[in-house]
Amino acid sequence: MAAKLIKILSNLKQSICKISKTSTKVNNVAQGNCQRSPSTGSRFYSSQVRKCTMIPGDGIGPEISQAVQKIFATAKVPIEWETVDVTPVRGPDGKFGIPQAAIDSVNRNKIGLKGPLMTPVGKGHRSLNLALRKEFNLYANVRPCRSLEGYKTLYDNVDVVTIRENTEGEYSGIEHEIVDGVVQSIKLITEEASMRVAEFAFEYTRENKRKKVTAVHKANIMRMSDGLFLRCCRDVAAKFPDIKFEEKYLDTVCLNMVQDPSQYDVLVMPNLYGDIMSDMCAGLVGGLGLTPSGNIGINGALFESVHGTAPDIAGQDKANPTALLLSAVMMLKHMGLVEQARIIETACYETIKEAKYLTGDLGGKAKCSEFTNEICAKISAH
Amino acid sequence: MAARIFMKRPLELGKTFRKASTNLSAFEIQHKSPLVKKQQKIPVALYGGRHAVTMLPGSGIGPELMAYVRDVFRYAGAPVDFETININPNTDESDDLIHAITSIKRNGVAIKGNIETKSEDTEVQSRNVAIRNELDLFINVLNCKSYPGVKCRQSNIDIVIIRQNTEGEYAMLEHESVHGVVESMKIVTQSNSERVARWAFEYAKRHGRKKVTIVHKANIMKLSDGLFLETSRRIAKEYPEIEHNDMIIDNCCMQLVSNPHQFDVMIMTNLYGSIVSNVICGLIGGAGLLSGRNYGDHYAVFEPGTRNTGTAIAGKNIANPIAMLNASVDMLEHLGHQQHADMIQQAIVKTICEDNIQTPDLGGHHSSSDVVQRVIDHIVHSDRT
Repeated sequence: MAAKLIKILSNLKQSICKISKTSTKVNNVAQGNCQRSPSTGSRFYSSQVRKCTMIPGDGIGPEISQAVQKIFATAKVPIEWETVDVTPVRGPDGKFGIPQAAIDSVNRNKIGLKGPLMTPVGKGHRSLNLALRKEFNLYANVRPCRSLEGYKTLYDNVDVVTIRENTEGEYSGIEHEIVDGVVQSIKLITEEASMRVAEFAFEYTRENKRKKVTAVHKANIMRMSDGLFLRCCRDVAAKFPDIKFEEKYLDTVCLNMVQDPSQYDVLVMPNLYGDIMSDMCAGLVGGLGLTPSGNIGINGALFESVHGTAPDIAGQDKANPTALLLSAVMMLKHMGLVEQARIIETACYETIKEAKYLTGDLGGKAKCSEFTNEICAKISAH
Repeated sequence: MAARIFMKRPLELGKTFRKASTNLSAFEIQHKSPLVKKQQKIPVALYGGRHAVTMLPGSGIGPELMAYVRDVFRYAGAPVDFETININPNTDESDDLIHAITSIKRNGVAIKGNIETKSEDTEVQSRNVAIRNELDLFINVLNCKSYPGVKCRQSNIDIVIIRQNTEGEYAMLEHESVHGVVESMKIVTQSNSERVARWAFEYAKRHGRKKVTIVHKANIMKLSDGLFLETSRRIAKEYPEIEHNDMIIDNCCMQLVSNPHQFDVMIMTNLYGSIVSNVICGLIGGAGLLSGRNYGDHYAVFEPGTRNTGTAIAGKNIANPIAMLNASVDMLEHLGHQQHADMIQQAIVKTICEDNIQTPDLGGHHSSSDVVQRVIDHIVHSDRT
């Protein structure tokens, strides 16, 4: 009796192994045109239509999302959009949370594009961004900052990517008032999370053919915590001998970044430093309205625009869709649709460079639709 | 005799003290509860009309810069005698450090370079942090003013950064609860935040500054930065003639690189102060120009603004001596020798802005000794009563 059971179980095991073997074989065949995404492990044929979740957001969110969808349609990108609304609803336990439909959608599709969300102050629910981050276990935030030709800032030669650990660090949210008038806030650094983000950083560097990774830390003061982060980075660096690795103190990086940003390539750092550095680099190229951002998670990836909802210009066709568009391009590269990503990106950069149709925040007078149409025209002409 | 009594009293420095007393938490030791230590006022040393000042050269470019300060002071005739104490970076023992701290307590004023702590042992506290905490130098002031002759991206910057110097993220209280999980504690206290805010507003009032900006991250760190923010706002109400606002640190950094002229005086906690001061130093032209002042209730320590050791450029005669010279000028002002301070200050400004004798980090091609020689020439030829 027991022997029969064992036989059945071993047959089951063999059949499971066979199934998984065939699926990996299929995936390897499809690898040809695709870039491997290390974290999601998602692979697909390049001719297959892919579903993506779209979260338009508030304020100018809906109009810029529509602009992006129009551009993608013109470029014939094989993506089907599934629009969801993440306005929090009261759940059965009385607490506000993201609607289940939205969660299911992103879990199913594993890729999402998010517009700006408004977090009302003092209401009964937590920050939506935080909730999304926890839900999909988004552990790394990538922000490439590149100087745009055609939009002049004081810095012309910026080409930096900041990769920041997204789950722990100073933003762990663990705070207590020990004694009256004395507050302590705990910064949490774990080996697991640091290894994860370090590996992602090096893989990203390799895939995007970049040369150098700089770990930014303050281990002279926070010896144990940043020391652990550094050790993890060093361990991972040893596995990637073709990529240059250096470690710099946070103050040195800040000092050098404002004087000569061209000396840095990819920066990897814990949560708080990453937050500040990524915003500073965004400031160097022209602000948050032009910077794409991607959050990579274990179960998927969410790309977003990091600017505000701009309620004062919402609905007036004045918004600048560049940030959301560049984030969508990042999404395409992540999914492996490199060629289409390149076409759209080039069209966008050229439109800004020509400076004939620029929206208000870049100093022009064009409307959002005119800007979008110009990009579409360039794509069609390609 | 008195010195020996001091030596015997256990000082709470890293493992020396933790071994000695077991019933006090690290936090209590850190914040020097009155049960442990009596802060006795030590009379400031003043012998024969000349001030004695402790000099801590530190490592890297520290020793050469200190030599320049001595030269300049000799030519300027400043009535200051230096008591030099070298702290060995390689050892874990804190004898040199205790000696240095006692000397500063005796003299009241010090000038220092950046002291390196080579040990990576997590029990040994960073020596700079130890000095600051022991002497309770709770304020760090950085007066960032653009030099007209220096090539930089933003001109006409005039910002004062006032930064909490002893607690915050630099509390150095860390532990590994489970293997692979490290917790580091950031401490914010009501009393320290209040002292900083009050000092800052008094400073603004005394120097005719119009606006104070409080930099924080209270949207995420609600309790800790929230406490700092609330305390500062409360103190701000007592100074209605000074405008105040607050800004989140990431927005602040973004604004600094695009429009730094909107800031006047900025108050913040320890880590943000480090970041913002380095950003502004970068905007002004480099780490070699600005000097920082650390103030406590009883002591004052002067140092170059961006606390860099400069090991890479040590001994090559290309380090920028201006930061250390500016620190020495601040020190002379603090001691009350305004005339000497002005004389050296004017010589510095003439050298950098009019003569354009600048070191490589500012885009020039002169060596440090050239710069110092020119400063000395200006001093010798200036009008002296």
